[in-house]
Amino acid sequence: MGNIRVFRAIGMLAMVCVGFTAAVRADETCNSPYIAKLIKGQEDYVYVWTLGVEGLGDASDKLVTVDVNPKSKTYGKVVHSVSTGARAEAHHMGFTDDRRHIWAGGLSENRIWVFDIATDPAKPKLVRTVGDLGDRSGYLGPHTYYALPGRMLVQTLSNTKDKGGVTGMVLYNNKGKHLANYAMPTEQGGDGYGYDLAVNPKKNVLLTSSFTGYTNYMRPLGELIKDGEAMKKFGSTMVVWDLKAIKPTKVLAVPGAPLEIRWSLNPKDNWAITAAALTSKLWLVRQDAKGEWIAKDVGAIGDPSKIPLPVDISITRDGKGLWVNTFMDGKTRYFDLSNPEAPKQTYEKVTGKQVNMISQSWDGKRVYITSSLLANWDKGGADNEQFLRGFAWDGKELTQKFEVDFTQEKLGRAHHMKLGSKALRSSAAGG
Amino acid sequence: MNSPRRIQRASQAIALIAALACAPISSAHQDEPLAELDFIPPAPGTYTLHRIMAAPEGRVLGIDGRPQPLSRYTRGQITLLGFIYTTCIDPEGCPHAYRVFDALKEAIVATPSLHGEVRFVTLSFDPARDSPDVMRRYAGSRVLETDGRLRWYFLTTRSARELMPLVEGFGQDIRITFDRSGARPRRELSHVLKVFLIDRTGDVREIYTSTFLYPRLVLNDIETLLMEDRAAHRKK
Repeated sequence: MGNIRVFRAIGMLAMVCVGFTAAVRADETCNSPYIAKLIKGQEDYVYVWTLGVEGLGDASDKLVTVDVNPKSKTYGKVVHSVSTGARAEAHHMGFTDDRRHIWAGGLSENRIWVFDIATDPAKPKLVRTVGDLGDRSGYLGPHTYYALPGRMLVQTLSNTKDKGGVTGMVLYNNKGKHLANYAMPTEQGGDGYGYDLAVNPKKNVLLTSSFTGYTNYMRPLGELIKDGEAMKKFGSTMVVWDLKAIKPTKVLAVPGAPLEIRWSLNPKDNWAITAAALTSKLWLVRQDAKGEWIAKDVGAIGDPSKIPLPVDISITRDGKGLWVNTFMDGKTRYFDLSNPEAPKQTYEKVTGKQVNMISQSWDGKRVYITSSLLANWDKGGADNEQFLRGFAWDGKELTQKFEVDFTQEKLGRAHHMKLGSKALRSSAAGG
Repeated sequence: MNSPRRIQRASQAIALIAALACAPISSAHQDEPLAELDFIPPAPGTYTLHRIMAAPEGRVLGIDGRPQPLSRYTRGQITLLGFIYTTCIDPEGCPHAYRVFDALKEAIVATPSLHGEVRFVTLSFDPARDSPDVMRRYAGSRVLETDGRLRWYFLTTRSARELMPLVEGFGQDIRITFDRSGARPRRELSHVLKVFLIDRTGDVREIYTSTFLYPRLVLNDIETLLMEDRAAHRKK
């Protein structure tokens, strides 16, 4: 038993007890503050949750490991891929609180795939499938996987009844045992829609955002935007919840489908920021002088009349800067957040013909970008680039360092990313 | 429904906790005051503590060196269990948990309605160093009987082989890391601070990390479990 050998060795060493215990802090790519271990140095891997494409490779969704350590002989190359054997609109993923496992899911089904990334960080292994989400909750399309101590809180996008946008959250323990469901509020201004979630334990606040349901996100984008009735079925709220009780306390009006939520990582701050996709606006969520949580429009992203479609955002560790990817124009924009009430764009660059997710290293010097939004929303023809691109950021310029062409490699559509490290190897990954 | 007297007692305990949280805790580990809550927590009984998982079973050693099943210390009463190393030096790690336990102990001892309802368990991660004798010295006066008001058990294990099922079962991550900042790589044993609230039947009902390990929250959760017990008793 590897663990016993490890402990015997430990007994002969001077032991240092290091608790990962600071107050609110997210990891290098804006994860739960309960994630155990941050990668503060050079990451070794980027895990890319990839949508399968019919006729390409094995056509299945897969978790792809790309070596991103410049000192490695395989830098910028795919070193591993583990297929799910299914094509289920792979979308997002999240670490468990101990960072031993990744939970990853698709939006067209209710299966969640659990990968062990601790036994061999270079070669994630599929160890479990959680398949009871729909039966247990009536929800559909697991999206956000947010670690709580010993548990995973999953935000879904839709429901199994009418496949619309009224949905909720589902709580599991780390072994995949269902614990509870939480409906998104449909009263007092609530529209019932869901998208992302993020917590601020210092304030006992859970914040959620809202997108749209299966009938919209699985529909071809060109067709969808011509359907006026369907376009009304997008979220226009954020919800403030009591984190301890997981009960909604206030609905905030945030029109235009507010998506990713990022709390400032600065321990002195207690505000969050989001981007509304359809209106191309940045919104700040903070407490007012009376302690009431409010949402405030703090500025535009590009020219909203051109619908640049802001998608993923990534906040710097000091809360002073924000990367924003806009899908339609393929731009990566940097906003100075020194004054979060008035974000100021200071840089932009076209980083692809279509760009979606963006992640940065803890020190902010490396930025990773992928291309796919949704299978039916991605562009066609030559504009349908599918890639992971790695960039260096010196504070002034993004410089591309490598690219993995996911079509050429017969992998699929590159979507969500998480960072990995050899140093996070652990023999006690029981799953 | 709760009787006014019980609510009053719970309120007294919470008030005491609040006072303790603001005052320096007398401790051999730290002199800094515990952080204050920056929010009003939900009242006891207004929220659900889910049955997250069953506390694992295994063999442990008390300070008398006698082996016992861990379930002897995780059933029959509400249990607050935390893993420690006696050599832990991270102020945000084991010593922080110790200070919270100390604050809770004072509050529970001062609240008659909680007497005999709660036990504390401090379990070592480090069987190689933390023998029963070492744990006895680490515990100091905390291990003494408190007239049935609160017992605090200090446990260790005989070996890594006996420890690991407990560590794994609780999902208490331990990781070997290498600090390469010095001339020679140094091996470190890292862990996430977790404290487990276990109900009378041995189910883990809450897991606290440092971001949520406040005496007042723990006391609220204990009261929530007691209210649950009383409601179940009335149904019978």
